[in-house]
Parts: sequence; C-alpha cells; structure tokens
Amino acid sequence: MHGRPRKASKPEDEAASTAKAQKLRALQTQFFSFHHSKIYTKEAVELSAKLLEINPESYTAWNYRKLAVEHYLSQPDCNPESVKSVLDDELRVVESALRQNFKSYGAWHHRKWVLSKGHSSIDHELRLLDKFQKADSRNFHAWNYRRFVAELMNRSEKDELKYTEDMIYTNFSNYSAWHNRSVLLSALLEKKAEGFLLKENLLPEEYEFIHQAIFTDPDDQSGWFYHLWLLDQTVTTDHPLLVSTWPAHGSDVFLVGDRCQNGSFSPFTTVLSDSGSFPIVLYFNQPVKGVSSSTVIIECGFNKNEELLWEPLSVSNLQTAQVWVAHLKFPTSELDSSVEISVGYSKEIVSPRGSQYSHPSTFSFKVHVQPVERDSSRVSVAENILWREENFKAYRAQSEESIPIVSFDQLCIKNGHESTPIVSFDQLCIKNGHESTASNWQTEALAKEVECFRELLSLMDCKIGKLTLARLLTAYDVMSFPFANKLDEYSSVLLRKMTSSEESLLQHCFQYKDSVSSAIGNPICLRLNNLSLSRIRAFERLLWVQILDLSHNELESIEGLEAMQLLYGLSLGNNKLRSLTALEPLRKLKSLRVLDLSYNQIGDHSIDTTRYLCSSPLSHSAGSELNDVALINYWEAFYMFKDLKLNQLDIVGNTVADEKFKSVLVKIMPSLKRLDGQLLD
Amino acid sequence: MATRDPLDFDIGVEDDEDGTPSPSSISPPSSPPSYFDRDRHVAFFEMLYNLMPYHYQSQEINRLTLAFFTISGLHLLKALDRVDKDRVVSWVLSFQAHPRSQAESKNGQFYGFHGSRTSQFPPDENGVSVHDAGHLASTYCALAILKTVGFNMLTIDKESILISMRNLQQPDGSFMPVHVGAETDLRFVYCAAAICFMLEDWSGMDREKARDYILNCQSYDGGFGLMPGLESHGGGTYCAVASLRLMGYIEDDLLSKNATSSIINVSLLLDWCMQRQAIDGGFQGRANKSSDTCYAFWVGAVLRILGGYKFIDKIALRRFLLTCQSEYGGFSKYPSELPDLYHSYYGYTAFSLLEEPGLNPLCAELGMTDLAALVHCFLFFQTDQKCCITALTLTIFDLSTRLLCGEKTLHRNRSLGAVKILFSPHNLAISVLRVCGRCTTLIML
Repeated sequence: MHGRPRKASKPEDEAASTAKAQKLRALQTQFFSFHHSKIYTKEAVELSAKLLEINPESYTAWNYRKLAVEHYLSQPDCNPESVKSVLDDELRVVESALRQNFKSYGAWHHRKWVLSKGHSSIDHELRLLDKFQKADSRNFHAWNYRRFVAELMNRSEKDELKYTEDMIYTNFSNYSAWHNRSVLLSALLEKKAEGFLLKENLLPEEYEFIHQAIFTDPDDQSGWFYHLWLLDQTVTTDHPLLVSTWPAHGSDVFLVGDRCQNGSFSPFTTVLSDSGSFPIVLYFNQPVKGVSSSTVIIECGFNKNEELLWEPLSVSNLQTAQVWVAHLKFPTSELDSSVEISVGYSKEIVSPRGSQYSHPSTFSFKVHVQPVERDSSRVSVAENILWREENFKAYRAQSEESIPIVSFDQLCIKNGHESTPIVSFDQLCIKNGHESTASNWQTEALAKEVECFRELLSLMDCKIGKLTLARLLTAYDVMSFPFANKLDEYSSVLLRKMTSSEESLLQHCFQYKDSVSSAIGNPICLRLNNLSLSRIRAFERLLWVQILDLSHNELESIEGLEAMQLLYGLSLGNNKLRSLTALEPLRKLKSLRVLDLSYNQIGDHSIDTTRYLCSSPLSHSAGSELNDVALINYWEAFYMFKDLKLNQLDIVGNTVADEKFKSVLVKIMPSLKRLDGQLLD
Repeated sequence: MATRDPLDFDIGVEDDEDGTPSPSSISPPSSPPSYFDRDRHVAFFEMLYNLMPYHYQSQEINRLTLAFFTISGLHLLKALDRVDKDRVVSWVLSFQAHPRSQAESKNGQFYGFHGSRTSQFPPDENGVSVHDAGHLASTYCALAILKTVGFNMLTIDKESILISMRNLQQPDGSFMPVHVGAETDLRFVYCAAAICFMLEDWSGMDREKARDYILNCQSYDGGFGLMPGLESHGGGTYCAVASLRLMGYIEDDLLSKNATSSIINVSLLLDWCMQRQAIDGGFQGRANKSSDTCYAFWVGAVLRILGGYKFIDKIALRRFLLTCQSEYGGFSKYPSELPDLYHSYYGYTAFSLLEEPGLNPLCAELGMTDLAALVHCFLFFQTDQKCCITALTLTIFDLSTRLLCGEKTLHRNRSLGAVKILFSPHNLAISVLRVCGRCTTLIML
C-alpha cells in the first residue's frame, strides 16, 4: 500500500511501466484460470510464483500454492526427496516475495505453513532471519517469525536471550529486542529454568542492566518501556493460589434439612439446607478464570463431576473472580460419604494476566446427612432472628461434645511450598513467613529505584523520568500501605487479629437463642458489631459463617461479602450504607433469608449516581408484576431484591423506606414474611 | 471508455481521452501550501475515483479496499457529489458471494464480499462455485462504502454473511480473513466487529471470545500487539480499542468515567498513546520509530475514543502532517515523499480529528465519516423499543437540526444532568442506544 503514484516520469520509464502493468494483467488472468480449473502443473505453479514475486500480498496466489502442495503430497509417486524439493521451492518463493516486500503478512504466513509441514532446518531459518533483521531490526513480522521458529524447533530460550542481548548491544534503541527480552525472561521464569528460579534474584540484575541504557540516553523510550515491564514484574503476585475452601480439608460436614440440629455437632460445619444441595467454595488469592468441571475434579459417590456448574462470584459479568462456587447435591439415601476435590491439575485456571495456577492441590471432607424430622411449626419459628442483645449467649465449646469443632487450622489453606497437599497448622504459618520475605525484596527493589530516579532527575529535566518516578512511588505506597485510609487500615488489622487464632475467633462467637426458639438447636452467630469497621476483610477465614452481625459499624461497602455463601442471617443495621446498589454482593448469597438494613443512609441523597450502574428493568422482560411507575422509581430495588429469597427484612430508619417503597418490596419478594418486625399476611 | 467499471484501473495505454485530469494538467505550486489544501485533495481523489493509476495494479486483489479509501475520502472532503452513487452501489453489490441455498451457507465458506473481480469464479460445469468465498477486510470495506453512499443497509442479505462469518472465528476468539485459512490477528477481529456493527446484528461472532482475545493482546506497556505477546503497535491498538467500543465493552469518553473499573488498563494505554507523539509532532506506530502520517489516525482515533485527544499537541501534529501534504494533493507516509492513497486517506481522517474546517467529522471507531455512520442510527431508532422513542426524539431533533444546518461544531462536551455525553451526533446516538434503559433518566433529568 505504500505506493508511489503520479511521478512525472520520462517517456521510456512510462513505456516500461506500461509494459509491466500489461504483463501483470496477463499473468493474473492466466493464474486465475489455472486456479479455477485446479491445474497444478509445473508451468502453472511457476506462474503463480511470478505473480507473487510482483505482488506478495496476493493471498489467493498463496492459497493456490498451498492447494498445489497438498495436491502434490497426495500423489502416489511422491517420495521424501521430491517432497523436499517441492517444499524447498515454496521456501524460495517466499524468500523472493519477502525481498520484494518484507512486511507481507501473506508471505510470512505461508512460510509458517511450509515449516509446519516439517521441513527446513533451524540454521537455514535463522540465517534468513538474520538477513531480514539486519535490514530492518524493528520488523515485527521477523521478530514474530523468530519466536515461531524458536518454539517450533525447540531452540533454547537462553540462546535466544543471547541473540536478543546482542541486538540490544548493537543498538539499545531497538525496542523490539527489549520486548523480546521481556517475552523470553517471562518464559524462563514461568518454567523456573536453571538460573531463573526466583524473581528476587533476576529482577535486580535486570534493573542494573536497564539503568545503563536509561542513563546513557534518558530521551530514548526503549529503556523506559522495559523498565515499565520490570516494575510490572516486581509488583504483581506471581501465581494464583488457593487460599481457603469450604468445606475445609479434613472436616466433617453435617447436613440437616432444617435448623433442628441437636447440638452435638460442630456449629462451624453444620449446614442448613432446604434445597437438597450445599455449596463448595474455592477462595483464591487473586481473581482467576477457567474454574470449571474440567479443572476442578470432584470425586464422590453421589454426584457426577460434569454436572457441577462452577460460578464466579463477581459483580462484573466477566468470567473472572476471586471466589468460585458450585452446588453439590447430597443424597438422601447415603448417610455418610466422603468427597475429594482436586484443583488445578489441568492448566486452565489462570489469572487475567495469564499466569497459571501451578500448585495443584487436593482436599477432602466427609458429609454426614442428618435424617430430617420435619416439624413445620419449628421451621417457621427458625426463620426469624431477633437481633437483640439478650438473645446472644457467649459460645462455649461443650466438653461433652462427641465431635470436636473443626480444628482451626483447617479453616485456611496454606501455600508455603509447592506440592502442598494441605493441612497442618505449621504450614499455615509458613505461608505468612513466605509472604513477608517476598514483599521485602519487592519494597527494597522499589525503594532502590525511587532513589535512582531521584538522582537522575536531579541531574536533568526528563518528563518520562518524572512519570516513572511517580509510578514507582505509587507502587511503593500501595505495597507499603495497602489501605485507602486509616480507618480501612484499622479495620483490616483488627479483623486479621480477631481471625488469627481459634481462641480470639471464639470470643466473637455467640449462640443464638430467643424466647420462642428455645426448643431447637442454637445456631452460632459471629458478632463483629460495635467495632468501628469501615471495611470487611479476612473472608478466607470466615467462609463457614452462617449468621453474621455487623451492626453498629462504619460500613459504606460490603465488597467481598459474596464469598460467604453459607450466610443465612445478616445484620448490617446502623452502618453507613448509602445506596441499594451498595448491596450488590448480597445478590450472590443464595442462602440468605434474614437481613437487617435498618438505620443506614439509603436514600439520603436525592441523586444517587450509582443507580445508573445497574441494568435497567426496561431491558428485561421481567417485572410485569409491577406497574410502570413503580418500576421507573424503584428499578434498582427491583434489580437488587428480585432474586433474593428473604423471609425477614428490616429497613426502617432509611430515607428510602417510606410506605410506598415498602409496598414495592413486598411485591418484589413474595417470600417475605416479616418486614420491619411486622408479620405480613 | 463508457463501459468501464467505476474505480477502474488505468490500464496503461496512452493518455485518456475523457478529460480525466492527468498529472500534467495540474501545474504544481512552487512549494507545498502551509494549509490544508482541500481543493487539491478533492482533485486528487476525484482523479483516483475516475481512474486508479496503474501503480496500484499490484493491489488488484484489494480492489474494494482501494474503493473504500477513495469514496470515503471524498466524503471526508465533503465531495461525495463527485461519486455516482447508484453505479457504485451496484458495482459493490456485484462482489457479494451468495450461497445458493440455506444449507450451503453453513458449508464452511465465507459468503461475504470478494476483494476483486479476478477472485470471483464462475461456477464450474456442475454449477458449483468451488472458490466462491469472500474476504473479511473486503466485506468491511464493501459495507462501509455502501453506508457512505447512503444505501439502505436493511436490504442487504445479511443472514448469509453473518452465519458464514462464524466459521472464520477461531477457538481463541480471533478471526481468519478467508475460509481457506490465513493468519489470524486483531485486524480481522476488528473487521468482524465493524461488520456486525454496520449490519446491526451480532449473531456473526462470539463477542465474549473476541473480547477475551483482545484483552490477551494488551501488553505490559498499555498498548496492544496484533496477537497476544506481540510488541504493542498503533494499528493493533486501534483495532483492539475500536472493536471493544463497537462491541459495547467500553464506553465512550472512558477517561471522564471511572477508568479503574474498565476491562482494559486505561491509564497505561493512555500513557502509551501519548508517548506515540514524537518530537516532530507526528505520531509513530511503535516506540522509537519514525513519525508516519497514518498513525495520526490509528493512535489519534484511540485517544478520541478514550476521551484523551485533548491532551495531544495539536499544533505540532498539524505542522507535521502539513510536511507530508503533497503539492499534487494527497499525503505521503513520511515528509516530502510522494503521496499514496492509503496515507492520503489517513491524512484526511487525521485532519478531521483535528476538526479542520471543510472536512466532515469522523466516526473514530468505524474509520469513516460520522454522517455515514449516522444513517445506521436513524434506522436503529425506528426499530427500537417504543418506550425509548420519546427520549430519542429529543436526540434526533437535536441531531437533525445540526445536520440541516451543516454545523461544524459537532464535537462538544455537553452535560445533561448526571449523564455526560460527548456531543458528536454519532457518539451521542450510540451512547443513548447502548444504555437504552437509561433514556428514561434523560427525560427525568
């Protein structure tokens, strides 16, 4: 396309061009007639070569040659030698086409195709590449082809690294070479090749290397972009890890048809289930995609693996989430069975940045199904929770319990080392130790870079240097102070501390017992009320919680709460929630029946901008049970509540909660039995 | 000469006798003008329209692409009246490959548009068209031309294009351009997205897969390579961002919104794009490469979509582009070279982004004029849900006044209560369409 029309030219040139154009026309006509009639004679094939020499972009001619080669290879009389000569011909045609236009997509693609037929030698290809890369060291087709050849012919990354380094030393402005270096080093780190085992050893050397380039010519962009890659490598967590699961490894899960448990089971592992299934939750250290029945294998007597549907617990619609859930149906016939779950033995679980989950692990637990004695009056009583102080009794592990509480270290998985088959309190600690040393080298590297570029900027004015320094400082800040404000930091530290040991956690566990429910088992409630929390953290240790009291805190957001799949009752009363859309995580909680939102700030602001973030009811066909006016005024309520199956809701003390709004809520949730303490008909 | 196809090549015989301007009929000015010389550009493109110089014969296979540049170029120059629209329509439609039956449209071939006459084959003796298959880029260009000349897109046989196009999508989400196979990369993802957008029907592709492929192409420096793992490249970055925009995965004017919640890394991308403007004022396609006219569009359009065009040095860019303006009309790749069709077209789009008077505004994500893109919106309005019509009436009214007045001040930020909208007719219409439900909000506010 980079043509050269309208040159005022001499008559003899004109004549030559005319002749050339006429020749091309004739060639094309002839070629297409051969192609159409499927003629693959020597003469015909040679003609297509001539055409491609003049016009390497003619994809039809390349495809014709592919057909011709296939045709020849399918002949009965072809032998290894003649195959070789046919393919050699193809390589020659590509080479001369590339000489005409070395940016021809079609020609490079054809060469890849020929090579995939298992021909040519690596030396030959590398010699050719050398020629092209000398002529234009930035040709991305050539670099791309180089990576293709190196992979196809198993050339070692280290050899390629050497070549790339030579290219950099020839001209350090060659960003294509720097880019290739980043690709190669990523591959070597991924493979944990010898000498490339740990980032913390490799990256400081790379920083040194790039400083040479940057300090030599700070106006050159190559070095700065490579530095950006290094920064990226420094701050990102390597591989996705499984941090915690529910049920925990080695635990006993007791399933009961209603809340009537008899108290002899561990309150941490007894689950109410009225749907005949219970959730399995996988909690990773970062968002991942690719969790499916082919990457997570479940072995148990009563469920077929393929039937399990893994769902990302994420508010965006992307198939990426830190927490994944599947619902396992439990049998009514078998009372005791064991379940084994293997995660990540195939390679498809990856972070959005493409790093693979590479710590395959297996966990198992036992399921005990409690025969159900259905008593409808009891069931209806248990559907309510009265959030009154006197109804919560401090939890004491009863010594006479036949089955002990699931041991605390089972609530969390440790990933200190590779090949961890999980469990044991010691390994849990190793994980923490490993993390802190890891962030040490990271912050050290960043601090060193900050110093280095401050020095550079004291010597000269350099925009991109300032930008890089700003990036470094931001990264350093995030790494050293990962909280938006003091209050969040306080919340996080407090929650980590409270969940750090079995003892401290039990101090916040209460047994719920109200005047009407005395006859039935006493469910455990985790009470984190009155703590001035502004954020909730440490979900990986709280996956077992079924009743949670977060009242009288400073919560503006409940981000992350969707991980707590067992939640049945939740109090968010007396917090600072400002909009219904802030409740988005609740939409993922399928077991939630009791919700207290009283005395928040929902509706305080007349213009709620977050309202526009949820999809409009006009784009759904549902909602016919509401009239249009209600729908237009309350569509975020419709969106937020329509999939919840609440029995009890308290919303008093919010500006939004007028009579009209409450009547809409009743219509949206037919399951609702109690609203602000009032029994509904 | 009267029997010639539109946009035919100069076959190289002597001088033409039909009065087509030849190089010598324009006396070159003593030095290239220091302003955007619209008249000369119109003359140049009119010449290309009437007779493509034989130098382009080696591009014969991409005939529709050449035609797209020429016709859309004339539209950008507000000179579409030089084009015989009916002839162009029937000429373009004659390139479409048609399956003979419903079953045939699923046989693995792509029933789009042929790139050129020579790649169309008559059926063999049994009436079977063995090689009857289209090319994605040619199909994109064909549809873009049809929209440009105001053809009613609803009358196109879109079913066979879309059903057969699915065959071209690869398991990783990318597209190959022809069914017999060729390289797959972001260029053809973009073509597919633009085709679906123009046909107002996304059944032709798996958008989620395409999105994932695009996201895999974003490099650590913020730009996009043509394939995952490749070095960031201006053209690849355009294809990625424009495709995401067309598919509805990113909003217009992303920078004024909460960029952190976007599916791509917007701030790094912005940095990367900004650093493509070189010292000489022009844009380069990759780090440390020379400035090149066409990247003023590829990178400039990305910045326009992101809402970051305001950050560039427009005066310097204009100065650079003018050094690439040819005294014969048209633009060249590098300063002081001879012009060519491709760089001329992207020169015009670049000037349109700079809001040069005398040029039609550009629809950045479709790479053609806003007006051509707009025809689609009006059609869309008519078929849209009833409840949105009221809200849209206001919009249409606004747009049509502007269109009737032929105003040039189309790109303006306008705040409508809580909803801020970039006021280009196309962009406004699309924003409204994308959030259909929110139209009620527009009224309320």
